[in-house]
Amino acid sequence: MSPDPNLITRHTGQSRIERNSRALVRIGVSALARFYREREQPILGAGFILLLILAWQSLPAIVSLPRGISLFFTTPVEVVKAFYRLVEANEIQSHVYVSALEFIVGLGLAIAVGFPLGLVMGRSKVIDAMLDPFITAFNATPRLVFLPLLMLWLGIGIWSKITIVFVGAVFPLLINTYEGVKNVDRVLVNVVRSFGANEWQTMKIVVLPNSVPYIVAGLRLAIGRALLGVVVGEFFGASKGLGFMIATAATNYKVDVVFVGVTIFMGLSLILTHLVKMVESRLSRWRLEEAKTF
Amino acid sequence: MALKETISEYRRPLLGVASVVGLTLVWEIAYTYFIPLDPFFFTKPSLIGVAVKDQTLSGELWKDLAISSKAFLWGFSLAVIVGIPIGVFMGWRRRAEYVLDPFLTALYASPLVALAPLFIIIFGVGLTGKVALIFLLAVFPFIFNVFAGVKCTDRLLVNVVRAFGGKEKDIYFKVILPSILPYIVAGARIAIGRGIVGILVAEFYGASEGIGFAISRFGDTYRLPEMFAAILLLMIMAVIFTEGLRKLETILAPWKIGQEAR
Repeated sequence: MSPDPNLITRHTGQSRIERNSRALVRIGVSALARFYREREQPILGAGFILLLILAWQSLPAIVSLPRGISLFFTTPVEVVKAFYRLVEANEIQSHVYVSALEFIVGLGLAIAVGFPLGLVMGRSKVIDAMLDPFITAFNATPRLVFLPLLMLWLGIGIWSKITIVFVGAVFPLLINTYEGVKNVDRVLVNVVRSFGANEWQTMKIVVLPNSVPYIVAGLRLAIGRALLGVVVGEFFGASKGLGFMIATAATNYKVDVVFVGVTIFMGLSLILTHLVKMVESRLSRWRLEEAKTF
Repeated sequence: MALKETISEYRRPLLGVASVVGLTLVWEIAYTYFIPLDPFFFTKPSLIGVAVKDQTLSGELWKDLAISSKAFLWGFSLAVIVGIPIGVFMGWRRRAEYVLDPFLTALYASPLVALAPLFIIIFGVGLTGKVALIFLLAVFPFIFNVFAGVKCTDRLLVNVVRAFGGKEKDIYFKVILPSILPYIVAGARIAIGRGIVGILVAEFYGASEGIGFAISRFGDTYRLPEMFAAILLLMIMAVIFTEGLRKLETILAPWKIGQEAR
């Protein structure tokens, strides 16, 4: 039985309007609480990042930094300002263009070489055994060791960077394609074979569709390596590009410009890896069932 | 007959060795008899061999390697000490995961090496700058592998410890730590690669000693055989560490193999 509303009024001495507004607030609060409960994860995650940025921004206002540190210090607002300045001066665009060119050509070459080579290695035991020591050795070593050598051979133009991007990105692609081909269901291959398919048809009908998720995962790794190659390649001997911009800004103590470059690199790599991840989860949706039963 | 059996049994490693030896021979012969060698542009295996012998006997390369190793060990140990607790905390406390995961994932996914010039101008070209860069690159594999390991901890074991009156401490040391061990090793394998990247970048960029500095100095002075010798040495060490940890991984967590073979 619900309590008599008049009784409550007599006890608390509230008017009807007051009571209604209280109720509204209560509804509002509980709705807010529910909103938070349902989205706790993104709220906490985004909140923490916002909090860090705010703390970074307000740090110089709270504590006075010693001169030695304030030389290396910048705030997010300064970084944004520097970004606009560089965009207006048309500087950023040309740097991004060069870096993007190196990235795209290098990654494209890595795909053009790594993917077919991975397929061949996965299908041929002899080639696999012969290339394996090289691939193990090169994959274990960060390919950046070859940077001075590539500079010596190719100079400071874009080709040395394209090559370092290529050698960085080709191995994840190659190895993942290889793994994908190796993990193909033998039964399916035998079925297609016994119906008279040749190597090319087996490849097209069974091997390729099965290894697509592996290849996409390899692509995600390759993007990371390629960006690493672009940045580091441009640090040492370049005349244009985002990495070059960061390195020169650092030597001139323009810390805000350093962060502009770093932020662009971070943003690009996050966007690109996220896109590939979306493709990945789309492609491997049918795979999940299998994984669950394991 | 016996020879034939041995060959078919060890076919794979034999083919591997044959291809390495074959390539080295072709390289050597081609540059000895057919192609004129430009010593400022390329080199050949016999010269690299001599350089390896000279450099290792004179101890020059070892000195550079020791300097880089010191920075590496410092950065790597710091990454272990900091990364593992953060990973455990994130894996064990749901809200900690919510708070930290997006931020750390963003950092892990981005090319943090881009910060190298800043690190060098702040910390200098000595040990501190290298250690800071190596730490920054190597800490994330530990955090995220340990995080994944804690998430995979068997709830049943946790409940058993609780049911027998175990404290929070017992859960950490008797259940979580043993079950994340293979994940730590997996993290270490990835962290080694990233750590070497850190060393190389820091020493290419600005250093006066170390293996990365040696490589870039040999490059600048066109001492190609020595440069190849240094690269070879680094490659051998990287292979030993990475493959060693991979082996350790399969020993600690043999079930992983089954997963990969599927």
